Amino acid sequence: MSQSACRSTHTGFWLGIGWLLLVLASGLAAPWLPVSFPPAVPDLLHMAEAPAWADSPVHWLGTDPQGRDVLTELLYGARQVVSISLPAAALATLVGALAGGAAGFWGNSGVRIPWAGWLAVVAACWWWLALPGRWTVSLSLICMAGLAWWMSRRLPPAKPSGWPIPFDSLFLGILTLLGAVPRLLIVLVFAAGPALETSQIVALLVLVAWPEPARQVRAQMLRVRELPFVEAARAAGLPGMRVWYRHALPHACQPLLATAPLSLAGLIGLESTLAFLGVGRPPDVPSWGNLLGTLQQEPGAWWVLASAGGALVLTLVALQQLGRQLLKRT
Amino acid sequence: MIPVGRWLVVQVGRAGLAAWAIASLVFLLSRLNTEKSIDLLLDETDSLHSTVLNAGEMKATQRQAVAQRLGLTEPLFYVTRTQHAGVVSWHWHGGHNQYHRWLTGLSHGQLGLSFRDGQPIGPRWWAALAYTLPLTGLATLGATAGALALGLALAGGPQATGPTGWRAALHLLLTGLQGLPLFALALGLLFAFANPDALNILPAYTDSATDEPWHQQALRLVLPVLALVLAVLPELTLLLASALSHELGTNYATTARAKGLTNKQLLRRHALPNAMLPLLTAFAGLLPTLVAGAVVVETVFALPGTGRLLAEAVMMHDYPVLVAGVLLTALVRLLALTLADALYVWADPRIRLVP
Repeated sequence: MSQSACRSTHTGFWLGIGWLLLVLASGLAAPWLPVSFPPAVPDLLHMAEAPAWADSPVHWLGTDPQGRDVLTELLYGARQVVSISLPAAALATLVGALAGGAAGFWGNSGVRIPWAGWLAVVAACWWWLALPGRWTVSLSLICMAGLAWWMSRRLPPAKPSGWPIPFDSLFLGILTLLGAVPRLLIVLVFAAGPALETSQIVALLVLVAWPEPARQVRAQMLRVRELPFVEAARAAGLPGMRVWYRHALPHACQPLLATAPLSLAGLIGLESTLAFLGVGRPPDVPSWGNLLGTLQQEPGAWWVLASAGGALVLTLVALQQLGRQLLKRT
Repeated sequence: MIPVGRWLVVQVGRAGLAAWAIASLVFLLSRLNTEKSIDLLLDETDSLHSTVLNAGEMKATQRQAVAQRLGLTEPLFYVTRTQHAGVVSWHWHGGHNQYHRWLTGLSHGQLGLSFRDGQPIGPRWWAALAYTLPLTGLATLGATAGALALGLALAGGPQATGPTGWRAALHLLLTGLQGLPLFALALGLLFAFANPDALNILPAYTDSATDEPWHQQALRLVLPVLALVLAVLPELTLLLASALSHELGTNYATTARAKGLTNKQLLRRHALPNAMLPLLTAFAGLLPTLVAGAVVVETVFALPGTGRLLAEAVMMHDYPVLVAGVLLTALVRLLALTLADALYVWADPRIRLVP
């Protein structure tokens, strides 16, 4: 690549970072910014007006068809990005890394639980659910568990006994289940009830977003667990949990660094699609998607499209750019 | 030789099982709290005629009537767990439960009754599919053709330096488009081509226009199809372009060049068949994506298709319509997987169907 092209990529990268920081700052500081109009309050004298910088107080970016100030809505809309999409992306990456890491590292036979343990778990479930014959069945199961434990103490087995937890099959099964339907549809179905709280929306987005990082971490973990340093850690006698958490997992999470920005971009798109469709949240919560949705009433409002659409597109492109740069560095 | 036969059965079986499981899960979750769904329904109707005297008594009879009409009085599942003063007991209901009725209805091709008006939802789905099938079908064709053309064009340049000139611009444009949410894309198209203040060359809104001549109706489909194509095109094109440039670096491509083939011949006759396989995998995911995209596109362009039906069901808390949507989308995915497997066998003669 020539030097000038390289420099222009760098300029673009830093511009992108600057824009993302601006969105972050306005999302965090929106309630304390000196805006002339409160959010979600219509200015009934000025409905769907293009920006005119002569009046006072000035609607810097015009008003939407419901008379709300576009600039205020944009600033408060950044709040949705910071309070919903960002935590959802972080949590989804975390959950995905742990689940995919566990499935890849232990597979279907890595963790064996002795028979006594399984019997005790079944007894506890029987007791907790109060299934028929609560006392007799759970007591006899506990007795059998005790017997199995005593037997295993008496006769030390030559090979590992017990029944393994099928981590990998469980993981792949859940992934197949969630992948059976596009994620927009899953979110729509779960959001079809009454309006959701912020934490519920975040949980919903995490539910549909975690499979992607999990699949990457699992694929990487299948390679990493065969590497000499993991074998060395096992040979040194470290417990399996410690090998997994301290040695294998940090390596297996390497690809996430580059894909986390893309996952965040996907969630911002999903969140604003929900706001655009008016699903899951009360209609007066300011967000970019909601603002763009007003275009359906007034298709000629170029200032709404330019400002809200521009903010959305800039954010997504900046995140893509960030992901690509991180991919190059790793 | 790869035993595709058994693999295909496993793949399709797994997808079918997942379709059944997710639809059942959504069905059971949506009816877990019957009281709340009846409340939501009554709230909607209350806002229509709100002059009710003696509200409490009316409400109770009304609730009973609604529950009776929609079959919500029966127990939800084969067994129920009840708790009375700390004593937990389990009841077995046999076939007299909502889930069993839903399953038997499905096996007879009945999708259930709408919560809104108590009408069967099957006919509504068929009417909506008459709009959505042409939309998604045309979008699939357009996206495939566009991806082939653009992918070949992108990979046709000199290999050593990477894309230059218009190819670099196209590459940049496609990567930019890739991350854009579909609704922003559709709004942009609406603004650019169906706007009374700017270019108004393509009609957008269908307002009870069933008696229009067919070419007018076809014109209305142009923008929605374009939006769907633009939403899925970048991924397919970039995938194909990278697969093609990988194939061009292989030994057989060098041999073909040494024989004196032109770049075009090499690309079409030798590289393209080998680069098709990753494209087919992406193709299996294309149909479900388009079904989900129809929700957004039909809302933006006001088309009365399945996507609009789903979006309205979400607004009206009409869960049976949503459950049917989940089931049908999962079945579409099943179909796409089977189709992709069949195309795999066609594209790669080394793969044989082994019984």
